[in-house]
Amino acid sequence: MNCDIVYLLPLFTVTIGAILLMLLSAFESIRIEVASALSVGIFAVAFIVQLVPIGLNDVLPFVSLFNGMLAVNDFTRIASMIIIACGLFTAMSAISYFRQNNFGSLEFFSLMTFAVSGMMLLTMAQELITVFIALETASLSIYALVGYNRRNILSSEAVLKYLILGAFAGGFFTMGIALVYGALGDTGFAAIAATISRDGLLQNPALAGGLLFILFALFFKVTVFPFHSWVVDVYDGAPIPVTGFMATALKTAIIAVLANVLLLAADIRESWLDMLFYLTVFTLFAGNLIAIGQNSLKRMLAASGIVHTGYLLIALIAVSGDQFSGSVILYYLAAYAASTLGIFASLSYLSGTDEKRKEFNDFRGLAKVRPYSAAAITIFLLSMAGIPPTAGFMGKLYIIVTAYQSGQVVLAVLGIISSILSMWYYLRLIIAMYFHEADDLFETSGSRSAPVCAFILAICVLALSLYPVAI
Amino acid sequence: MAQNVSYLGMIPLLPLIGAALVGILHLATCKKKRLPDKLYAVLGCTTPILTFVLAVKVFLDLNGLPVDTRALTHEVFTWFEVGEMHVSMGFFADPLSSLMLLFVTFTASLIHIYSIGYMAGDESFAKFFAYLNLFLGSMLILVLGNGPVVMFVGWEGVGLCSYLLISYYSEDRSNVLAGNKAFIVNRIGDFGFVLGMAFLFWAIGGSGFDYISLKANAHLLAPATVTLVCLLLFVGATGKSAQIPLYVWLPDAMAGPTPVSALIHAATMVTAGVYMVARFSFLYVHVPTVGLVVAWIGILTALVSAIYGMFQNDIKKVLAYSTVSQLGYMFAGVGLAAYSAGIFHVFTHAFFKALLFLGAGSVIYALHHEQNIWKMGGLKSKLPLTYKTMLIGSLALAGCPPFSGFFSKDEILYSALASGHTGIWLVGVLVAGMTAYYTFRMIFVVFHGSPRDAHAYEHAHEPPAVMTVPLVILAIGALFAGFLNLPALFGGSQQVTHWLAPSLAEHPHEASHSTEIIAIAASVAAFAIGIFIAYRKFGKGAVEPVYSGFSSFAYHTFRINELYDVLFVRPYKAIGSAIGNYIDAHITDGPVQLIVWFYRQFGSSFKLLQVGYVRVYAIYMIIGLSVMSYLLTQSFK
Repeated sequence: MNCDIVYLLPLFTVTIGAILLMLLSAFESIRIEVASALSVGIFAVAFIVQLVPIGLNDVLPFVSLFNGMLAVNDFTRIASMIIIACGLFTAMSAISYFRQNNFGSLEFFSLMTFAVSGMMLLTMAQELITVFIALETASLSIYALVGYNRRNILSSEAVLKYLILGAFAGGFFTMGIALVYGALGDTGFAAIAATISRDGLLQNPALAGGLLFILFALFFKVTVFPFHSWVVDVYDGAPIPVTGFMATALKTAIIAVLANVLLLAADIRESWLDMLFYLTVFTLFAGNLIAIGQNSLKRMLAASGIVHTGYLLIALIAVSGDQFSGSVILYYLAAYAASTLGIFASLSYLSGTDEKRKEFNDFRGLAKVRPYSAAAITIFLLSMAGIPPTAGFMGKLYIIVTAYQSGQVVLAVLGIISSILSMWYYLRLIIAMYFHEADDLFETSGSRSAPVCAFILAICVLALSLYPVAI
Repeated sequence: MAQNVSYLGMIPLLPLIGAALVGILHLATCKKKRLPDKLYAVLGCTTPILTFVLAVKVFLDLNGLPVDTRALTHEVFTWFEVGEMHVSMGFFADPLSSLMLLFVTFTASLIHIYSIGYMAGDESFAKFFAYLNLFLGSMLILVLGNGPVVMFVGWEGVGLCSYLLISYYSEDRSNVLAGNKAFIVNRIGDFGFVLGMAFLFWAIGGSGFDYISLKANAHLLAPATVTLVCLLLFVGATGKSAQIPLYVWLPDAMAGPTPVSALIHAATMVTAGVYMVARFSFLYVHVPTVGLVVAWIGILTALVSAIYGMFQNDIKKVLAYSTVSQLGYMFAGVGLAAYSAGIFHVFTHAFFKALLFLGAGSVIYALHHEQNIWKMGGLKSKLPLTYKTMLIGSLALAGCPPFSGFFSKDEILYSALASGHTGIWLVGVLVAGMTAYYTFRMIFVVFHGSPRDAHAYEHAHEPPAVMTVPLVILAIGALFAGFLNLPALFGGSQQVTHWLAPSLAEHPHEASHSTEIIAIAASVAAFAIGIFIAYRKFGKGAVEPVYSGFSSFAYHTFRINELYDVLFVRPYKAIGSAIGNYIDAHITDGPVQLIVWFYRQFGSSFKLLQVGYVRVYAIYMIIGLSVMSYLLTQSFK
C-alpha cells in the first residue's frame, strides 16, 4: 500500500503550505499581501491536484487508505475541492478586509490553511478518533480566527462563547467515541457499519447512545436546531472573512462527515427518521424566524445559514443509504458556498473601516453609487433565496425533487414554504440597495482583490446553474 | 434524408455575434472616449454580407441536390426535453427558406450599407447597428428555425428589435408610444401563435416537433384541429404582418429611422406572417375554408389600407399603407393556396418596397427630416438619381409591366380568377388601380411641379454614394426580379414556382390562356386608369387639399384608432385601475398583510430566545439532547 500517499497529495500540499506560512510569520518584514498571495497559490495548486482524479477510476470508486482510517472517493474529492475553493476565495477577500481593518497579520493565513487541511481530513476520515482529531484541528484554528481582532470586545465575546460551547459538544463527542468503543472494541466506520447491518442499531444500546452523542456534536457544528443558538452571536463577532469561511468551508466538511456517519448503514437512518424529520423542520423554520428579526446583515446571514443546514438535512434524509449519491448534497454545498462567499467577499470591502456598515439600512442606495457591486450582491441573494437562473435555485430544486422521489413529500412542501419565507430577508437587502436614495458614498480603500473575487463568484453562481446533476 | 450541414448554424449566429460585438464595444466606450463610427460601420456591415455569401452557398448546395431531397438541416443542441416534448435548437433550409434567406440577407446588407450614410452623425450610431444586426440574427432564426418553437424565438426576437428601433429616437414621447403600440399589438397576435403551436403539439407534437416530422404526421390530425390550429396561427400572422384587425401598429411604426422602416417594416419582418402560412402550407391546404378567411381578410386589408393611402400627407405613411396593402395581396395569394405566388410577391415586394423607403429616406435626408409631401415638389432636378430609382420602384409597386411587381401581383390576381373567386379578384383589381393612383400621387407631388418650400428646395442635394449605390442596386432588382418567374404566356418557365414546389403543398390551377389574358388586361387597365387620374390631379402641380367629408374620414383612417381606444384600450385600463386600486389593495392584500404581521411577531419572539448568554445556549443544547435521548430510549421498548 505504498501508493496511499498519492491520494493524499492535495492534503499534503495544503498542510505543508500551512507549516510554511507559519514559519514565514516569524519574519516581520514580510507583508501580508505576500502571505495572502502565497496561500492563494497553495490553494490553487491543491485545487488543481484535487481536480485530477489520481488513481480513481470506474473500477475503484472507493479507495481505502491506511488500514481503513481514511477513504477517498468522488464524494470526498469534490467536498475537498469545495473546501479548498472556500479557502482560496477567503484568502483573496481577506486582503481587502485587512486594508480597512488594521489587525491583520501573517498568522491569519497560516491558521486558515491549517483549518482547511483539518476539514479536508475530516471529509476522508473513516474512523472516529481520526474524525475527532480532524475536527479539533479545524476547530482550534477557527477559534483563533474568530477572536482574531483582540481589541474588539464583540470578537472576544464570540470566541469565548464558541470555545465554551464547542468544548461542551466536543466532550459529548469523546463520550460518544468511548461508548462506541465500549460496545464494539473498535472505532472504525467499517466495524460499526458491519455490526449495525448484522444486528440492527437498537439491539445495542451503548452503540446507539454513542452514535447519538456523536451526532449531537456534529449537529452542534452545523447549527441544527436546537443547537444553533451560538451561531448568530459568533458569526456576528467574527471578522467578516472568517464568518464567510466558517459558514461555507466548515459546513461543507461537517456535512460530509455527517453524510458518512448517517449513511453507514440503512438502519441508522431508518431508526432515527422521525427524529431527523422534526430536527429538519425546526431547523428550517427556526432559522427563518430568527433571520426575519435581524437588522444586522451578518446576523441575518448567520440565521439564514441555519435554514440552509435544514435543506442539507432534507437531502441527507432523502438520499437512500444503499446507493448513496452525494451529488445533490455537494451541488447544494457548492451553490451555497459560492453565493455565501460572494456576499462575504462583497461585505469585506464594502463594510469599510471597523465594519462600520453592517445593517440593512447602511446599504441604502448602494445600486446608485456602486451598481456592479449591488448587481453582484443581488445575484448572490437571489441564489440564496432560490430564484432562477442561479445555482441556488438548481440546488434547492434538486433537493426538493430528491425528497419528493424518496417519499418525503411533507419535507419537500415545507422546503418550498421555507424558501418563500426566506425571500423576506433576502429581498429586504435588494430593496434597500435599489429602492432608496444613497446617503453614503460607500468609499472603500485600496485592494481590488475582494471585488474581483465577488465578480468571479457571481459568474460561478450563474455558471453552476447550467451544470446539470444526475439525481 | 435531409443532409446535415454545420454552416447552417453560422448564418443566424454571425449577425448575433456582430450585434454582441458592436453592442459591447459601444457600452464599454460610450461614456469615455467614443470609438470612430467608421469602425462600427465596418463591423456592422460585415456580418450581413457574410450571411449573404452563406445564403448563396445554401442556395447552390440545395440546387445541387435532386429535387425531392432538397433540404439541409443542422441540429446545434437539444434545447429542452420535457416529457415527450423534444425541442432542439435546429436549423432547416429547404427551397422556401433558401429563397427567403437570399432576399433577406441581400436587402439587409444593402440597407446596412445605406444606414452608414443615413445615420451618420447620430448620437448612438453603434447602438443602431447593434440593433440592426440583432434584428437580422432574429429574422434568420425565424426563417431557418426547424420547427415552430425555434421559429417563435426568431418571431419574438424580431418583435423586440422592431420595438427597440421604432422607439429609437426615444427623446420624443410619441415615438416611444408608437413602439409600445407595435409591441402590444404584436403580443396579441403572438397569443394566437402560441396557442396554435400548443394545439399542434398537443395533437401530433409527441413524435417530433420539427417541420419534417410535422409534415409527415399532418395526416393524423382531425379536421377540426387543423382548422383551429390554422386559424390561431393566422391570428399570429395578422399581428406580425399587419392585417385586419391588428394592422394599426404599422403606420405608427414609421416613427423609427427610415432604414428601419425599409428593412423591418417593409421588406422582411412584416412578411414573416406570409412566410409562416406558406411554411405551414401542409396544414392550410387541408382547410380551404380557413384559406378563404385568410384570403378575404387579406384582400379587405388591401382595400382599406389603399383607401387610407390615397389621403395621406406623410411620405412614409403613404408607403406604410401601401405595405399593408401589398401584404394583403400576399395573404390573398397564400389564402387561395397559391403559395408560390404569395411568396413570389414577398420576394419582389422586398426589392421595390425597400427601394421606395430608401428613396423616401434620401428625400427626407436631403430636406433635413421633412416628411410632409406638401412641403416638397420639383425635386426631380435636385435629386435625379433618387427620382429615377424611386420611379422604377413606383412602377413596380403600381404593377406596370414589365416591372417586378406586375408579374407577382398579377399571378395572385390570376390565381384568384382561375380558382373562381371572382369577388376577391374584382377587389384586387380595384386595389391595383388605387395603388397606381396613390403611388403616382406621391411621385408627382414630391418630384414634379414647382417647389412648395423654396428654402428647403435650395438646400436639397443628392445624398452620398453610400446611400445611392444601394438604391441603384435595388432598382435593378425591382426592375428585373419579375422575370425570374415569367409565366408561360410570356415564354417564361416559372422558375421560382418550380424552385419552391418541393416545400409547398400546392396544386397549380389549370386555366385557359384566355383567363390569364383577361387577368392581365384587367390589371394593366387598372394601372393605366389609376396613373391617369393621378396625373390629371397632381401631374402639373397641385396645392395641399383640404380634407372634408369622406376624405377627412379616410385621412383619419376611418377613426379606427379612436374606435379601438374606446372599445379596448380604455375599458382595459379601467379594469386594470379598478383591480389595482380596489381589489388588490383591499381584497387580495388584506390577508397577506395579516400573515406578514403575524409572522413578524413570531419572528421577534424567536429573536428573544437569542439572549446572548452562553449558559442559556448550553441549556438549550442539553434540553435538545435530552429530548433526543428520550426518543432513543422510547424506541428500545
